[in-house]
Amino acid sequence: MATVASPHPPGAFEITLENLFSFPQGRRVLTCLQCGTCTATCPYGVGMQYPPRRIIGMLRTGQLEKVLTSDSLLSCVACYACTAKCPRGIELTTVLLPLLKEQMLLSLPEVPSELQRALENMLRYGNPMGESPRKRAAWAKTSSIPIRILPEDPRTTDVLWFVECYTSYHPRGQDTARATAKIFQALGIDFAILGNEEKCAGECVRLSGEPGLHNTLMEYNMQVFRKYKFNSIVTSCPHAYDAFRYSYRTAGFDYELRLATTFLAQHLEALRPMLRGKAGYTVTYHDSCCMGRHNGFYEEPRTLLQAIPGIKLVEMTHNRVNTICCGGGGGGMWLDTYYKAKGYERLSERRVKEAVATGADVLAVACPYEISRFEDAVKVLGYDKRMIVRDITELLVESMEGEI
Amino acid sequence: MDPANTNKASTGGTGVYVCHCGTNIAGIVDVHVVVEYAATLPSVAIARDYKYLCSTPGQELIKQDIHEHGIDRVVVAACSPCLHEKTFRKAIADAGLNPYFVQIVNLREHDSWVHTDHTAATQKAMDLIRAAVRRVRIHKPLNPKRVSVHPDVLVVGGGIAGIHAALTLADAGKHVYLVERDATIGGHMAMFDKTFPTLDCAACILTPKMTAVQAHPKITLWTLSEVTQVDGYVGNYKVTVKRKPRFVLEDACVGCMECIEACVYKQAKVPDEFNMYLGKRKPIYIPFPQAVPQVVVIDPETCIEFKSGKCKKTCVEVCADRKAIDFHQPEKIETIDVGTIILATGFYTFNAKRIPYYGYGTYPNVYTALEVERLVNSAGPTGGEIVLRDGRRPKAVGIVHCVGSRDENTNRYCSRVCCMYSLKLAHLIKERSEAEVFNFYIDMRTPGKGFEEFYNRVAEEGTHFIRGRVADIYPDPQDQGRLLMCAEDTLMGVICKVPVDMVILATGLEPQPDAQEIRRRFHITCSMEGFFLERHPKLAPVSTFTDGVFLAGCCQGPKDIPDTVAQAGAAAAEALALIDAGYVEQEPYTASVLEEECSGCKTCIPICPYQAITLLEDKKKANINEVLCKGCGTCVAACPSGSIQQNFFEDQEIFAEIEGLLSYA
Ligand SMILES: Cc1cc2nc3c(=O)[nH]c(=O)nc-3n(C[C@H](O)[C@H](O)[C@H](O)COP(=O)(O)OP(=O)(O)OC[C@H]3O[C@@H](n4cnc5c(N)ncnc54)[C@H](O)[C@@H]3O)c2cc1C
Ligand code: SF4
Ligand code: SF4
Ligand code: SF4
Ligand code: SF4
Repeated sequence: MATVASPHPPGAFEITLENLFSFPQGRRVLTCLQCGTCTATCPYGVGMQYPPRRIIGMLRTGQLEKVLTSDSLLSCVACYACTAKCPRGIELTTVLLPLLKEQMLLSLPEVPSELQRALENMLRYGNPMGESPRKRAAWAKTSSIPIRILPEDPRTTDVLWFVECYTSYHPRGQDTARATAKIFQALGIDFAILGNEEKCAGECVRLSGEPGLHNTLMEYNMQVFRKYKFNSIVTSCPHAYDAFRYSYRTAGFDYELRLATTFLAQHLEALRPMLRGKAGYTVTYHDSCCMGRHNGFYEEPRTLLQAIPGIKLVEMTHNRVNTICCGGGGGGMWLDTYYKAKGYERLSERRVKEAVATGADVLAVACPYEISRFEDAVKVLGYDKRMIVRDITELLVESMEGEI
Repeated sequence: MDPANTNKASTGGTGVYVCHCGTNIAGIVDVHVVVEYAATLPSVAIARDYKYLCSTPGQELIKQDIHEHGIDRVVVAACSPCLHEKTFRKAIADAGLNPYFVQIVNLREHDSWVHTDHTAATQKAMDLIRAAVRRVRIHKPLNPKRVSVHPDVLVVGGGIAGIHAALTLADAGKHVYLVERDATIGGHMAMFDKTFPTLDCAACILTPKMTAVQAHPKITLWTLSEVTQVDGYVGNYKVTVKRKPRFVLEDACVGCMECIEACVYKQAKVPDEFNMYLGKRKPIYIPFPQAVPQVVVIDPETCIEFKSGKCKKTCVEVCADRKAIDFHQPEKIETIDVGTIILATGFYTFNAKRIPYYGYGTYPNVYTALEVERLVNSAGPTGGEIVLRDGRRPKAVGIVHCVGSRDENTNRYCSRVCCMYSLKLAHLIKERSEAEVFNFYIDMRTPGKGFEEFYNRVAEEGTHFIRGRVADIYPDPQDQGRLLMCAEDTLMGVICKVPVDMVILATGLEPQPDAQEIRRRFHITCSMEGFFLERHPKLAPVSTFTDGVFLAGCCQGPKDIPDTVAQAGAAAAEALALIDAGYVEQEPYTASVLEEECSGCKTCIPICPYQAITLLEDKKKANINEVLCKGCGTCVAACPSGSIQQNFFEDQEIFAEIEGLLSYA
C-alpha cells in the first residue's frame, strides 16, 4: 500500500491512494476545475505524457492504472509551482504526486539507473553520492576555524548545525560549509555538528516516491538527535528544513528549527558592522522552490544580500512565488541523464539564461543543490566569463574579509 | 391525523400540537409516541399531531379546539419560532385568545435536523414539550407595541443602486437623503462606455437618472459625505452625516468651469482617479463632464493655495462675482431623522498585484478591466482609442478571466459579471482596433437574459477562446515589447504561449475595504466573504437582520446592472411598505422596574444599549422608557437586586420551563 506521512503538522494521519477521498485534503481532488494552471506552470509540463491536470482527471475517472504505466511523474521535480497556483488549493506536490510516484516506481518495468543508484546509496551510506559516511565531516579539517563534532565531544551545544549531504561532500558545498562556520564563529554562536552520525534528512527521497526510505532515515536521525543536548537546530539545506518542519513532526520532532539563511538574517544587526568589504558587482538571487514557494522565505536572503555594502540586487523575470526550478528537487538531482535522453531542456540552463539576461555578475543561491547545477549550466552555456555562482554565505564572508 | 387524545378535563386546558413537517420532523422523531406522552401531562386537555400545522387546515384545527374544547393555552411543537410564531399567534388570536398564550417548541432545528438517533430525538421532543407545557400555563396576556415610522429615507451610496432606489422613493413622494462619499454620484457605471449585453451607451442611460436626482425636489443630495453614526431603531433612526468641504459653494457655482481653465496650472498634472490614473486633471476639477452635482471641486492635497497659501488664485479671479470658491469652507455635521435606510455602497475591484505572476504593476502593458473601461470610453483619456501606455496600438490582446475570483488563494466565489464584461471588452477592442483578442477562461458564465446570445455574437466576430487558466505572464525573451501568456488549452490538451501586446485582467468584485466598519455602524452583518448579509437568501434578499435597514446592489454581492436595479427597486418597495403602513408592530418584550425592590444603584443605566433607562430623581428609582426599550434583557441580567422583570421572560416563566425540562416523568 502506498503511504505517505502527512506534511501537515500536527495531525499524524496517513493518506494512501486507496483512502485518498476520505481525507479532506484528498477530497480536494474532486474539486479540481481542470483549469490547467498546474500543467501550464509545470516546468516539464510540455514533456509529460500525462501532465498534472490530466492525472487528476484520470484519477477521478478511475484510470489510475493508466497513470501508473506512464513514467510522466518522473518528470516532476517537486517545484511546488502547481500547488502554489492551483485555484482549488490542491496539494499536488506534497500529497498527491508522491503517492502516485511511489506506485509508479513499483510498476515501472525499469527505474532509471541513476535514480536507483542514488536511492540505494542513501540507504547504504546515508548520502546519495555513495560517499563514505566516515568522510562526512572531512571538510571540517580544512576549515580555518575549529568545528566541534558532537560524537567526539558530546557536551551540550546551543546550536546543532545539520550540515546535509551536498554541503558536506560536494567541493563547492564544502566551500559554503566553511563560509557558514566562519560566520557562526564571528557571531559568537556556540555550535556543533553531528559528523559522521548525520545522514540525509530524506526530503527528496520522499518526494521521489520512496516514503519508506524516507521514514528509515527519519527514524535514524531522530534517534541521533535524542542522544545529544542542544537548544535548537539550524540547517544549511532547505530540503532538510522542509523535512524537519513537516514530515519529521509525525515522528515527534519539536526542536526549535531554523534555516541557516533565516538564522543569519535574524543576526543581521550583529553581522552588519562586520561587512566591511565593498562589493562592486550586481547580484541576482534565485529563489529555491523548497525555501521560497513551500516555506515562504523570500525576503530573508534578499535582506542579507542587500546588507553587503556596494551590492546591487536585480530581479529575474521569474522570482519569488513565480520562480523557475533549478531542476534538482523531488529526485531531479539524480535524473539528469534521463531528462537528457528525453530531450528536455535542462531547467538549470533555462534559469541561468534568465539570470544572465538581468546583466548581473553574480547568481546568488541559498540551497546547496544549486551551486553545482548552476555552475555547470553557466559553463555549458558559455557564460563563464560573464557570471559566477555564489552561495549567500560565501558573499557574506568575502565582504567580512574585505577581499572583494 | 390521529384521533385526538382528549382524556383530560375539557375546559381551561392546554392543547399540544406536534407537527410532522412532512418528514422533516416525523422522519426522526416518533410523533405518535410524543403525542401520547403529551396527553398524559398535567393540564393538557388535547394532544394531536398533524402533517403541516402551518397550513390553513392545520391552523383551523387549533382554532376549532379552542372553540369546541375551550382550551386556553397552546403549545405548538414544530419549526423555529422565527418562521411561524407569528402565524400561530395570529391563529389563536383569531379564535379569541391572547396571542401570547402560545409557546413554540422548535422540534425541527433543535431536534430532528441535528440528531440521527430516533429514540433519543423522540425523548428530547418529549422533554422540550414538557417544559413548554409548564411555561405556557403562566403566560400573561400581552399586546404588541406599535411605533410610528418616520417617512424620510436615507440612501447610502450614489451608484446606480442608490440612484434608482432614491428616485423610486422620491417619485412615490417620500423625502430621500442620498449620501455619497465621492464628489459625484454615478458609481462604477459612470466609468463604462457600453454596457453588456445590449451595448447600451452607459452615459446615455445613466446621465438622465443622475440629473433627475439633482433636480428632484424630494431628494437631498449630499456628496463628499459619509454617515458617521446611526442611533435608534426601525421607524426612528437618528443619523449623523459628516459633509466634507468641496471648497466650492454648491449654491453659488454655476458649473461654467472657467476656473478650471484659469487655474495657475496651465497643464493638468495630477493623476486622475476617475480615469484610473490613466489621465491627468488639475487641482480644481470636475470628475467627468456629466458629473452630478455639476459643481467643480478643489483637491486640497494638490492645490497651491492649500499647500503654500501663496497662489495667485486665478480661479477666484475668474469666478468673480459668483464668489463660489471658498478656501475656508468648513466641514459640516448634519443630524437627520429617518425611518428606513437603504445601503447601496457597491463594490471594490480586486487588487491585481495580489497575484504577482500576472505582472500587474510590473509590466506596464498589463491592465485591469476597469482601466480598459476608461481606455475604450470615448470620453476617456485616449478618446476611446486603444493606445498602450507606451503609445503603441496593440495587435494582439489577451483577456484573463477569473482574476481574484474562484481561487482559494484570493476569493473563492465567482464574481458573476467578469465573463460578460470580458466579452464586452473583446467586442469593443475588435470594433475599435485591428487587434486579435484571446479570452482565457475556466468556465464561460453567461446566464442572464440575452447573455448567451451576446457570447455567440462575440465568438462569431472572431474572438479566440482558450479554455485554460493563465499560469504565467512574462516578457517574450525574443521581443521584449511583447508579453507571453502561458496557459494550457485544456480542450486541445496543449500548452500554449500566446504573444500579446496587451493583457487585460478581469479582476473580480470584492466588498468595499471598509465594509466591516460600515456593517458595525449600521448594526448589520456580513457574510463569510465580507459582503453585507441579507436576511434570507431566497425570501428576504434585500432585508437585513436589522429591521428597517435594506440592501441594494453590489454591497450585497457581485451582480450586474439589471440585477442591481431590480434589487434597488425591491429595497425601495420594502421601505415604502413600512412607511405606508405608518407604524411597525414590535414585540412587547420590554423590561420594567419593580419599584419597591429597586435600590437606585444605577447599575443598569449605562449598560442599556438604547439609553432607555433613567433615574427618577424624586424617587431615586430606575425607570425604563417603554418606547425606547428594545427588550434585549441586558439590564434584567445586570440588576444586582433582581428588581427588573421582562415581559414574556419573567423569572417564573423561565423557572417553570427549566423545571419542566428537568422533571423527568
Ligand atoms: C470592469 C467592469 C465592467 C462592468 N461592466 C458591466 C456592464 O457592461 N453591464 C452590467 O450590467 N454590469 C457591469 N458591471 C457591473 C456593474 O459595475 C455593477 O453591477 C454596478 O456598478 C453596481 O452598482 P452599485 O450601485 O451597487 O455599486 P457601485 O457602482 O460600486 O456604486 C457604489 C457607490 O457608493 C459609494 N459609496 C461606497 N461606500 C460609501 C459610503 N460608506 N458612504 C457613501 N457612499 C459610499 C461609492 O462611491 C459609489 O458611488 C461591470 C463591472 C466591472 C468591474
Ligand atoms: S491547477 Fe488545480 S484546479 Fe487547475 S487543473 Fe490543476 S489541480 Fe485542477
Ligand atoms: S511540483 Fe513542479 S514539477 Fe511537479 S508537477 Fe508540480 S509544477 Fe510540475
Ligand atoms: S487656488 Fe490656485 S491652484 Fe488652487 S484651484 Fe485656484 S488657481 Fe488652482
Ligand atoms: S464570471 Fe466568469 S470570469 Fe468572473 S469569476 Fe465567474 S467564471 Fe470567472
